[in-house]
Amino acid sequence: MTERSATETDSAARAGGAVTEPPPSGAGEIPVETRGQATLRFVRTQKLGTAAGLFVVLLILLAAFAAVVAPFDPTEQNRNALLAAPGVGHWLGTDDLGRDLLSRIIHGARISLYVGTVTVVVSLSLGVLVGLVAGYIGGAVDGALQALIDAILSIPPIVLALFVASLLGPSISNVIVALTIVTAPRFARVARGEMQRVKSEDYIEAAVVLGASRARVMLRHGLPNMVPALTVVASLGFGNVIIAEAALSFLGIGPPPPQPSWGLMLSQGMMYFELAPWIVIFPGVAISLAVLSFNLFGDALRDFLDPKLVR
Amino acid sequence: MPRMIARRVLYGFLILNVMTVALFVLVRMVPGDPVRAQLADAAVSEEQLAELTAELGLDAPIAVQLGRWYADAARGDLGESYALGRPVTEVIAERLPVTLELTVMAVLLGVVVGLAAGAVSAARRGSWIDNIVRVGAALGLSMPNFWIGLLLISFVSVVLGWLPPLSYRGPTEDLGTNLAQLVLPAIALAVGLSASIARMSRSAMLDVLGSDFVRTLRAKGSSEFTVFRHALRNSLIPVLTLVGVQLGALLGGTVILEQIFALPGLGRTVFEAVGNRDYPLLQVSVLLFGFLFITINLLVDISYGVVNPRMRATSR
Repeated sequence: MTERSATETDSAARAGGAVTEPPPSGAGEIPVETRGQATLRFVRTQKLGTAAGLFVVLLILLAAFAAVVAPFDPTEQNRNALLAAPGVGHWLGTDDLGRDLLSRIIHGARISLYVGTVTVVVSLSLGVLVGLVAGYIGGAVDGALQALIDAILSIPPIVLALFVASLLGPSISNVIVALTIVTAPRFARVARGEMQRVKSEDYIEAAVVLGASRARVMLRHGLPNMVPALTVVASLGFGNVIIAEAALSFLGIGPPPPQPSWGLMLSQGMMYFELAPWIVIFPGVAISLAVLSFNLFGDALRDFLDPKLVR
Repeated sequence: MPRMIARRVLYGFLILNVMTVALFVLVRMVPGDPVRAQLADAAVSEEQLAELTAELGLDAPIAVQLGRWYADAARGDLGESYALGRPVTEVIAERLPVTLELTVMAVLLGVVVGLAAGAVSAARRGSWIDNIVRVGAALGLSMPNFWIGLLLISFVSVVLGWLPPLSYRGPTEDLGTNLAQLVLPAIALAVGLSASIARMSRSAMLDVLGSDFVRTLRAKGSSEFTVFRHALRNSLIPVLTLVGVQLGALLGGTVILEQIFALPGLGRTVFEAVGNRDYPLLQVSVLLFGFLFITINLLVDISYGVVNPRMRATSR
């Protein structure tokens, strides 16, 4: 997945960038890939990444239609099937209260994906805003923002998220707040770097000379250029957020029970391992598969766009 | 080089102060009364409550409290834990070594396993070993470390019928017990690190193996072992960087693993202190995580110069 074929992917990145930023007219016939062609090339060259992307789509569909897909109500207790082994009826077995594990995992995907999506979207907006301003304006503003970002990033993400979520109290929205605080600075750092890189380009200078406002330069010229880099960090960030959400839930500061969060399922199943190992195995498999697919997709995207873009 | 180090130290100090102020203000802005949290359900009158609050200095404006904290800290007094009734420095001195030992074990394990896997994988590129390493690395990066910890302890207890000793012993008290307690969480923590190191060192080795000086080495008849040694040494820099980058995840991982394996470390201290609204202990334990992160990353940067002589000359 991390094979390097710099020359090929390098030109691909330029062509990919050109999709959002059309070349100046009259600059000769530079072949420009349309979005559809780029997607086709991604599917052709990044088979594993495509498979991972499809799995993500499947996961989203499962989560969206959980009520229809899940065979049971995730909170319905069945005294006749406590700790039932996986088999016909309960495909992945049941937990200590007789709740169907498969249904709980499918509903758990809703929580993970919801927290992941909201966190990534909010963090991306915040991070890009801060990154654009810091990278473009520079000077004291940049210095202050950098110090703040470095301060946040110097505390291990789980420690800071635990700190914030625990102070605010256990709920989904507080988990999102905590994870956003941890995630946004990472995106801001990438956005700042990209903005700085782009800042010295001729077309930015041209825009400034033509009298474009700061906001216009940042949004119209800066932003489109960082889309590839941000797409990659967002995809990889998604995996991290899912793990962090599971970790907080595991520690009991995620969404409160009986909500079937994957992390909570693990901590509740911990004491039944000897009797019913499946309670501890399957939710962990679900977390790992979700994270794996986001990671593989992000890796493929990075290789596709530019191997040197993000470390 | 010395100027660079001095600048980095100063900046680290600045960052720590930003952290101190932010944490201090944040905990006090959020609803939740530390005095009530300590007293739990004990019946106390409003007056007694106010008295206790004043005694802890929590009735003063936040800026004044912060000033007092700095003044005390300057004299080496980091306050007293509300919940434990002992000086914070004493509690930290007890718990920090546990987390440090766990982290060091995990780093050693992760580096050794990761480097070995990456090197073998690069040397036998395209072979089944290479494929196993690459699939393993992708998996290792996706599994939450606490799940690995759970699986390990479950597997060991159910299949091997062995459980790590429960009550914690320090390495100087009883080294055998101590190691038995730390080995499983250290493995769980090391998986992610070794996966990323394996990946990084594989691609770094491949880069080096394709370089001119390796061709020259081979041309002058050096043994494959010599070539390998050179390649390994040259792939050490990205590995070092990676340890610095992964440090946050590593230190963070100790929080949950200490919880699962009942280890009285710094991570568990944060978890308990935040639940108890134990402001003095919370402030220092979170700060300490930041301090560790900043210091170790600084050491990593300095060690670049040791590993790579070129950087000694060129660094600002």
